[in-house]
Amino acid sequence: MAKQLLDITKVFQKLTLNSTRLVTSPLLRLHDTNVEKNAFPTIISIRNTSFFNKLPADHLWKGVTTVSNAGKKRGRGKTISKKNIKDLNRGQSLGMGKANMVWPGLSAPIIRGRELVQQQKLPEDPEREKKLIELRNTMGTFRPTKLSPMERGWSGSKMPGRSIGAPDPIGEETFEGFDTRVLELKIVFNMKGNFGRKRRNAALVVVGNGRGLGGFAMGRAQEPKNALRKAKNRAAQKLVHIKLFKDHTVCHHFFTQFGSTKIYVWQKPEGYGLRCHRAIKTICEVIGIKNLHAKVEGSTNVNHIMKAFFLGLVQQKTPEQMAEEQGLHLVQFCPESNNFPNVIASPTECKEEKDLVRNETFDFNHYCFGGKVVLQKKHPAPFYTKLDSYMEHLRRCERRRNHDEVKLNLRSEYGEIRSFLTDQHPECVQFKKLKEEETQEAET
Amino acid sequence: MGTVSHVLRSISSKNFFLIGSRRCLNYSAIQYDGTADPAPLFFNDEVQSLLRLLTRVDYNKVFRKRKLGKNQLSDPEYKFMTDAELKESLKEAQKKADELLQIPPVVKIDFGKQRILSKDPALNGISTSRLVFTDITFGVKDANRLIVVREPDGTLQEAEWQLKKRMNQLYFPTPGRLLKPPRMFEDNYLESLLDRQEYEFILDRACAQFDPHEEEYQRIASITYQHLNEKNSFDKLRSTRHFGSLVFFLVWNKNVDNLLLDLIETSNIFEADKLVTLYSQINSVQVDGDSDLNRVENFIKTYANKKGALELALQSYKEIVKKQKEVEQGINIAHGIPTS
Repeated sequence: MAKQLLDITKVFQKLTLNSTRLVTSPLLRLHDTNVEKNAFPTIISIRNTSFFNKLPADHLWKGVTTVSNAGKKRGRGKTISKKNIKDLNRGQSLGMGKANMVWPGLSAPIIRGRELVQQQKLPEDPEREKKLIELRNTMGTFRPTKLSPMERGWSGSKMPGRSIGAPDPIGEETFEGFDTRVLELKIVFNMKGNFGRKRRNAALVVVGNGRGLGGFAMGRAQEPKNALRKAKNRAAQKLVHIKLFKDHTVCHHFFTQFGSTKIYVWQKPEGYGLRCHRAIKTICEVIGIKNLHAKVEGSTNVNHIMKAFFLGLVQQKTPEQMAEEQGLHLVQFCPESNNFPNVIASPTECKEEKDLVRNETFDFNHYCFGGKVVLQKKHPAPFYTKLDSYMEHLRRCERRRNHDEVKLNLRSEYGEIRSFLTDQHPECVQFKKLKEEETQEAET
Repeated sequence: MGTVSHVLRSISSKNFFLIGSRRCLNYSAIQYDGTADPAPLFFNDEVQSLLRLLTRVDYNKVFRKRKLGKNQLSDPEYKFMTDAELKESLKEAQKKADELLQIPPVVKIDFGKQRILSKDPALNGISTSRLVFTDITFGVKDANRLIVVREPDGTLQEAEWQLKKRMNQLYFPTPGRLLKPPRMFEDNYLESLLDRQEYEFILDRACAQFDPHEEEYQRIASITYQHLNEKNSFDKLRSTRHFGSLVFFLVWNKNVDNLLLDLIETSNIFEADKLVTLYSQINSVQVDGDSDLNRVENFIKTYANKKGALELALQSYKEIVKKQKEVEQGINIAHGIPTS
């Protein structure tokens, strides 16, 4: 070992600086000429220790652009925001500069083919500066991606409420006509002794074909995208068939509960639309329910709302089942069709009057809600109705209460607003404000 | 009913002009304004039942969903019912349908009489305007309400029918009726409605606005019937209250060929026969025959205007029946059922 070290020192001893040979670098040459011109050498003091050469570049950059948690608490780094940060180094690389020089070994290979690459200056690239400025202008002007109104979810470009397409095909099953909507996308944490706090994304989605098939699932992954994909494909595996009434609404009113989330659902006629919690609305759109009214009581946790609603949907009875269960005809009366008895379903064997017990549950609504009664709160009157000024307003407006209708009738009958005196005094017409063009014409 | 003489009956066509409306309809009004009165014939039970039969009641159409002037359909009501209850409610619906399908009466134009109650020359010049007195006692029918006018010359007389109608509408408004008739009954608007084949709408609105004995009602109804008859859109009015009036109008004016053709083409020979019976009753003519088909054939031979088309239709109907019979026989043979 000692012998080896001795050999190495001997080799180093032999090495010397050959001062007779001149360095051929052009920059050094330039420096030499300057030295020759200035007879007196200038003294430049160099302090070789500063944090600029002690720390690596990324540490320096981090120090400028971020502030520590402790510092934030003290109120430091208030001006630091993504808006103000511009990385001027972006788009630039070592050896490429304003002067378009070829530096063999730095910005170009030393040997190209069989020839040595010469150091040379190429004509300036006028585009370079422009590109750099353009790149710098894009920094600090971050804007969230804008979605078309059709693609938006419940809130802007956030995921909940948005569609993420049909589930991925499995073999020959391509899920045609299916759609997936996101109900929830959140960050969840897991605490472990050896790993500490681990964060993941959890996505809750609902899948359906708009014709009575629906399913839901939750997927977790490091990335939101993966979580969504996992959830979507898992939901496609858990489809259930949901009974619809005339392909547009639920079979009957129902009450459903999951945890402390209680939902009352009303069947509604065509044209009513979906008036319910946005999560229920999204689920309905995916399944193919077009008209429904729902009221959520208790917790509005999306996960629970979804589970409660699906439970209710799955537990629905078809009209035939209801008729069979009660042993009676189920008859619908619509005021629009003059309350004509429209038989929806009939039992195989109808009960007689003497076998019936006409108690509360005989009422259809009572039967549907399972004895639950919805609290229907009275809307309080607006605050201003108690004011004296409102009574004054009503008193003043009373004589004008039918004017709109009268004006409309006059317009339809005479084409103008007139009074019973118009025939006697045709010169008296209602004041009409002229348009700008008309006033100019009138003046000339 | 064949004894009623119709020799004196005359159908006069008259162009009815509304003030300020342009004439652009191709049809002239045909009103019941001759000497013959259609009312006794129309109110005859037999005629009524024939008209009701020809209306061909379809509950799906009578009780179809209508808009009730609201933006939304209202919530339907559901009930659990026993067989007996269901039967009872269906009976009630039938009663309601009878009410809804009541045929608007067909009567002669009537202007009413202005009875002079008293002449008081002493009151001459008491006022420059006419004074109208209306009895607004509750429960009196509009037709029986006493509405009198004191003329400026002192005469006290009953009001003319227009004034009576206006005063009744003022004090006891009928829903759907306006003080002035809506402009949709003016010729240019009416024409566009007719082109869109909104026959039921026109007739419903006319029924609400006018009384059956009014000249204007009969003008609008007759024009609508003629337009419909020409367009052969009888299905538009079937199962509505206006079909009976339409049939009566066509039979009264001896213009049943299109309707008869429609019935034969749709293989409704029973109804065609009933139409012939109605024709013979109203126009007091005799059509003999031992079966439906025979009577219709005889009617076409003697009274039809479009003999060619009707005979062709009847011929094709006979062929269809024949072919159907053949097919039925074939099926019976195939099933091994002996045919008579």
